[in-house]
Amino acid sequence: MKGAQRVASYYVLPSLVFVLLFSLYPIFESFRLSFYRLILALPWLGQRFVGWENYGDLVTDPVAMQSLGTTLLFVAVTAPLEVVLGLSMALVLNESFRGRALLRAIVLVPWAIPTVVSSQMWRFIFNDRYGLINFFLFGEATHLYLAPLAEPDLAVLAIMTADIWKTSSFAALIILAGLQTIPDELYEAASIDGASAWQKFHHITLPLLKPALLLALLFRTIDALRVFDLVFVMTQGGPADATNVLQFYGYKKTFAEGMIGYGSAIAVVVFFLSLVLSLLYIRLLGARILERSER
Amino acid sequence: MSLSLSIALLLPVLLLSPLFLGAETQIRFVTWKSQFPKVWDQAIADFEAANPGIKVTREIGPHSSTDFHDLVTQKLKNRDPEMDVFFMDVIWPAEFAAAGWALPLDRYFPPAERGKFLVAPILANTYRGQIYGVPLFIDAGMLYYRKDLLAQYGFSPPRTWPELVAQAKAVLAKANDPQLTGFSGQFKQYEGLICNMMEYVLGNGGALWDADALKGTLHRPEVVEAVRFVRDRIIGEISPRGVLAYQEPESLALFAQGRAVFHRNWPYAWEIANDPERSRVAGKVGMTVLPAFPGGKSVSTLGGWQLGISRFSRKPDLAWRFVSFMSSPRMQKQIALYGGRAPALRALYRDADILKKRPEFETQFDTFVNAVPRPRTPVYVPLSNIMQRFFSSAIALRDSNIESLARSASRDMDRVLDLLREGTRP
Repeated sequence: MKGAQRVASYYVLPSLVFVLLFSLYPIFESFRLSFYRLILALPWLGQRFVGWENYGDLVTDPVAMQSLGTTLLFVAVTAPLEVVLGLSMALVLNESFRGRALLRAIVLVPWAIPTVVSSQMWRFIFNDRYGLINFFLFGEATHLYLAPLAEPDLAVLAIMTADIWKTSSFAALIILAGLQTIPDELYEAASIDGASAWQKFHHITLPLLKPALLLALLFRTIDALRVFDLVFVMTQGGPADATNVLQFYGYKKTFAEGMIGYGSAIAVVVFFLSLVLSLLYIRLLGARILERSER
Repeated sequence: MSLSLSIALLLPVLLLSPLFLGAETQIRFVTWKSQFPKVWDQAIADFEAANPGIKVTREIGPHSSTDFHDLVTQKLKNRDPEMDVFFMDVIWPAEFAAAGWALPLDRYFPPAERGKFLVAPILANTYRGQIYGVPLFIDAGMLYYRKDLLAQYGFSPPRTWPELVAQAKAVLAKANDPQLTGFSGQFKQYEGLICNMMEYVLGNGGALWDADALKGTLHRPEVVEAVRFVRDRIIGEISPRGVLAYQEPESLALFAQGRAVFHRNWPYAWEIANDPERSRVAGKVGMTVLPAFPGGKSVSTLGGWQLGISRFSRKPDLAWRFVSFMSSPRMQKQIALYGGRAPALRALYRDADILKKRPEFETQFDTFVNAVPRPRTPVYVPLSNIMQRFFSSAIALRDSNIESLARSASRDMDRVLDLLREGTRP
């Protein structure tokens, strides 16, 4: 037994090295840098240890606080909607009908398209002159055309729409996998007892689907917290800073302004936000899954 | 070690080796996607023909100056030895010099040579007495207008901004074309927003910041007034709201489709707006200096691109050979003739071929010479981001509190400018 375990740990070693090198080291490095003031454009100021100063600045930085708010709003709207939409897609795809395999593949297409490409596509769809949205809403009445990416509130909605379109199918994939683990016997028994379709859904599908739903929600929440590419391609944070999400702000600070310390502090905050949320969800998912893996 | 394993390990090395073998004669040029790709293809082919054995590999970055900056600085920050030559926007040399990213070119580019260029772009490339880039072409904000529409309704090109608004409104009222708008410019939250807004702010006697006192100035009444003019009169009355999301290509497309009476853009727009294949208003376009405010002077933002050499390049001499070829009178002339860009070399404004093909350069020359650069500082990008946020917030919301936004932007800029007081520079 012991020997087998040792062999097993050798097998784990390569991926462990990989994780240490490409995941833990950068996280540690970001954490370390967040306690320094390091400005690339002003090398003569050097790299000065400033303790928690960057974090203090972050809390009092209205732009950072506003972008945190935008990010949380984005998460709160997109993640639940994506799971609900994903659930409905999964329910449909779980039924047997002609062309199901094809439809399953088609539903995954948005998720398979690189975000940069789909963002560009949505930028065109939301264009104020030739955008498809305007055409659907107003047709030939071009004087009514809206400029969604030019209005602060609409721009936020536009980014949310693009995200929901793209990742609902990812939620559907996870939920569909969950649906397939529910044994048919339960539904058959329920039918014999005379349960309605709603009762079956409410008493069988939903409770047994809970782990899959929470998993989908977990993935979507963490992913939505780190939203970046949509903003980068569609709005660059504008107009009026309305779409300046935390990750984009951190990117600007680090890579455009060269404020490495402050940018790292933002990255660390995003990291801890996702970590806390993940832990929360794992608790919610129940000890069941963890226990099983420990056994 | 088994045979297959050694092959597996060696394969990548074998596959990559041609890259290293040829490395001595490769120059990597990081550039952006041009509106006139043929000119650049030709220029590079000419260089390769004149320098056998040297191959120029191009890496094409994004069109937006802001995005392109992030790409180039990323490489410089990583001390990427692969990049030899790169384009620099006119606002970057100070930052790149202070950060130790751009190679000082003094030994290649002596003062006598610099004297052949226009003064402003040379100044923009100079930091603490050393030169860091060679200007390739310059840009300055120009006003484009629909000659036919102005003539039809009896107007001559506007001299002042209020006059421009009045003319646009009159044309819109009479033309009875729901597709037509009054003015198109670049008002998205990005670097171009600074270029556009600076023309109103400085034209109204304001400043972006006080470069001597290192103090923010956006809260001053001249600035607030200019910003309010843009919000209430330009965006509010004659521009489509869409301009708040427009960069150069989108705003030019609107004008070239015949859907805007007036248009603010760089000189390259002239070539496109008058190209029947790309424009519906070819031949109906006029160009002049930007309007002023009553009693003030017209202000044009200086733009333009320079070639810089990376301090981390392993072959600076070859890189210089390329830079000097690209910025030579012959190449600048090609770019001026076929790329729609205004040369940075003074003498070319008296060149017979150029003036024949581009008579407009003669009228533009004064604008080019007087174009106002954005203040030079290594902390330009953080300052620009604060200003972009301020300008966009002030003009995108109809009921924005401009004074309060301006005060807080000024304070933010003070904090960044304070960094320049710290420490002793080498």
